[in-house]
Parts: sequence; C-alpha cells; structure tokens
Amino acid sequence: MRKYFYIFKSNLIANLQYVSNIMIGFITYFVIIFIFTNLWEYIYSNPDKLINGYGLEQMIWYVIVTEILWYATGGRKLCNKISNDVKSGNIAYNMNKPYSYIGYSLSSHMSEAILRGVLYTIAGMVMGLVLLGPIKDFNLISIPFVLISSLLAVLINILLVICIGLTAFWVEDSGPFYWIYSKVILVFGTMFPIEYFPGIIKIILNYSPVYVTTYGPAKLFIDFSFESCLSILVAQIIYLILSVLLASFIYRKGVRQLNVNGG
Amino acid sequence: MLMAVKNQARCTFLAIKYGIVKEMLNRVSFITNITFMILNNASMLIQWIVLYSLKDNIGGYTFKEIMLLWGLAASTYGFSHAFFYSSFKLSDTINKGKLDAFIVQPKNVLLNAITTHVSSSAFGDLIFGYLMVFIYGFSFKLFFLFTFFTITGGLIIVAFAIILGSLAFFMDSSELIADNGNNLIVHFATYPDGIFKGFVKLILFTIVPVGIANYIPLQVLINFDIVKFLIVLSLTIFFISLACLIFKLGLKKYSSTNLMSARI
Repeated sequence: MRKYFYIFKSNLIANLQYVSNIMIGFITYFVIIFIFTNLWEYIYSNPDKLINGYGLEQMIWYVIVTEILWYATGGRKLCNKISNDVKSGNIAYNMNKPYSYIGYSLSSHMSEAILRGVLYTIAGMVMGLVLLGPIKDFNLISIPFVLISSLLAVLINILLVICIGLTAFWVEDSGPFYWIYSKVILVFGTMFPIEYFPGIIKIILNYSPVYVTTYGPAKLFIDFSFESCLSILVAQIIYLILSVLLASFIYRKGVRQLNVNGG
Repeated sequence: MLMAVKNQARCTFLAIKYGIVKEMLNRVSFITNITFMILNNASMLIQWIVLYSLKDNIGGYTFKEIMLLWGLAASTYGFSHAFFYSSFKLSDTINKGKLDAFIVQPKNVLLNAITTHVSSSAFGDLIFGYLMVFIYGFSFKLFFLFTFFTITGGLIIVAFAIILGSLAFFMDSSELIADNGNNLIVHFATYPDGIFKGFVKLILFTIVPVGIANYIPLQVLINFDIVKFLIVLSLTIFFISLACLIFKLGLKKYSSTNLMSARI
C-alpha cells in the first residue's frame, strides 16, 4: 500500500505545478453551470414551484455538485492514457515493475482527481453562493458524509474508466466505449436527479453506476437524510469492490492478448 | 490567378482525401468511431425528452425544432472537425515549430496546416445532423439549406479555431485558452438562444459566433428569410477573412523552435 501512496504523493507534487492549467478549465465549468442556470430558470417559471420534489435552487446545486464530480474524475484523459499504453506497448514497461498496473493507474490518477476536485469544489461553491445563495435548510452534519461519498464516487468512476480503457486489449481504440459511458453518466446522472425519470428507467438507474458516481453525493448535498446516506454509502462500497474485481479480471484476461513488438 | 486558386483547391482536396484514406486504414475502428458518435449524439436527445415532458416550449422552440438545432450543431461541428481537424490543434502546431513543414511548401500555409488531419468520428456527427433533418421532416429545400448552413457554420467554427489557435504566435500557454474557447461554441450551440438574455446573448452573436453559426441559420431553416440568409453568408466571409488576417499577422512573428521531430 505504501508504494501506491508514494505514487500518489509524487504525482500530486508534479500536478501542483499545473494548478493554473486546471484553473483555465474553470471557464468551461462556469459556462456549463451558467447554461443550466438559465435553462432551469426558464423551466421553473415560478421559483417556488417543486418539480419531482426538487426546487429551482436544489436543481442548480445538483448540477454544480455533479459537474464537480465529473470534472474531478477527468475520465477521458485516463481512458486515452490507458488505451495509448496498450496500443503503443508502453504497458510492457509497467508490467515488469513490482506493482499492479491497475493500482498504479488508480493512485497516479487519483492524485490529479483530488487536486482537481478541491479546486473545482472551491470554484463551484463560490459560483453557487454568488448565483443562488445557500441551500434552504442545509444540514451542516451532511458535509463529512458528502465528502466521503464524493471520494467513493470518484474512486468508482476512475475504476470503471480503467475497465473501459483496458478494452483496448481487444479493440484498437477504446474511445467510443468511453463516449457512451460518459454520455450515460452525463445524461442520466449529472443533469437530472433519478426521480426525473419514469418507472422502469428509475429502477434501473437505482442499480446503475449513475446512482453511485453522481446522484448519490449530490443527493446527500441537496437533500440530506440518514436513511438515504446509509443506502448510498452501502451501494458505493458494493460497487467499489465489484469494480476492483472487474478491473483485475479484465486486466488478467487482456494481458494474455498482448503482443508487443520491439522497436 | 485562377490557375493558382485551382491548384490550391486541388491540393487541399488531395490533403483531405489522403487524410480520410489514412483514417480508413483500420476499417473496423473507422466504422466504430462513426457509429458510436451517432449513438453518442442520439443519447443527448434523452435530456430534451425529459425537459419537454416538463414544458411544451423551451426558449421559443418545439421539440422537433430543438432536434433540428441539435442536428445543425452536430453537422457544423462534424464538417469543421471532419475536414479541418488540424485547425483545432493550431496552437500545438505553432508552439512545437511544426509550421516549418508548411512554410517551405509552395502552397498556402494556413490551408495546408489545417487540412493535414481528419477526424473519423466527426463523420458520425455529420451523419447525425442529416438524420435529424429526416426526423424533422425532409424536403429538398430544407436539405439544401441545411447543407448550406452546415458549410457556413462549419467554416465559422474553423475561423474561430484559427483565431484562437493564432494566439500562440503572440503568447505562451494559449493552447488551453484555445481548447476552452472551442468548447464554448459546442456547449452554447446545443441549447436554444431563447434561454439566454441581455449581454450574454450579445456575446453569442459577436465574440463567440454561435448565433451566426447556429441560431440564425435555425431560424432561417424554420422560416426562410432572405435577409437573415444574406447576413449569415456575409458574416461567414467576414469571419474567414478575419481569421486569415490574424494568422497572417501572427505568421510574421513566427520563429520556429529547436524541437526536432519526424513528420510521419
């Protein structure tokens, strides 16, 4: 475990040199929040109206939190990296090192994700407070639970992206699979809470990665209750174990397919 | 003069053609990229199905009109990325001294530099755009107008990318600014202009030209208006000229780098 902590630490120190680059990315984040603020203000013609149990402020805060989680994960970059490692044969240099490739990818990317998460959280909270003010009846007790749930959400998301990236062992470019995964998370997870979807879709989403990677932490932030907290955290732990097993399984199967040519 | 234009057009056409041939070397990957991009775009329609279940009219548009907006946004993006993909990497080309290879060629530097690569997935965007035309209600008039605005919108996006990419001539670390700027167009283009107000709306029709690339063309597609049609055409010419001028000014400051690399 210590070696992964060192990978995490050394990558974190390296990433701290590029804080300004991350902050330029705030432009896109602000634009997305701005668009959604306009969109929801248009739909909630009466600000006191509740749609599917959510008010206007809650909906915008929901998007602010889910987008923080999305930007913190930075899945596209990770997927491209793993896919390129496999395609270029670079993965061979990692295979003979005294660590697991999945553990290495997870700990090195996690350092970047945590740094981005902290910066985007500051930006998101400032933007939310300026645009909307604090959430009505916000429960301060929820903060540690939201943080734990967010950390688990990012971890699970990274592991699932690693699984997608590793499909490059079989297909040359795993990018298209990532597009579909990212769109599922974006459409069903970041824009609307699960309650917005009808019957069967809602049930499926409750068991899908959407529930644990975006909906869970955002729900705890905008509408905290100990019951929902318990069910979300339990679901996240189950998903975390399953995604670790799945990533190891895909890696072990895929690595047998690997054929690296010298050059 | 006419011969020079003809030669340049032929050269550009060949550059794009070979770019496509290169992408098609791996047919499975090429087809997968296109198919998944169509699915990727189609998945975003779920967002609008949910939103229209809450309200019949969003930003002054019906659901079918929003699909046409999505179609136009996808096809303009597709056109620009399919044929002029390198314009979105212009900062990198300039910063890493890769422009040297184009300067020594007896053809237009800018055109050569922006047509070296094509994006296979962008063909999926183009196809998706035309699928939306069929869903909206096909007519020859709509088809030709849609094609016309796909080209004008695509060229505006390319011109905007060239302007942002040319910042690399004047400042360091312009790559991230260019990336963010290019993303702005994509994000705004997929939402109706009716939800924006005041100063932001003004920006969308001037500095970030989404209004000219997408919003006005959509209005013309729904209700043909010759004045708006001509406005789009003249502003497209204006943006292309502006992009060429800024690139030309920047090129005078270009001093290459000492980075050695092979161009394959």
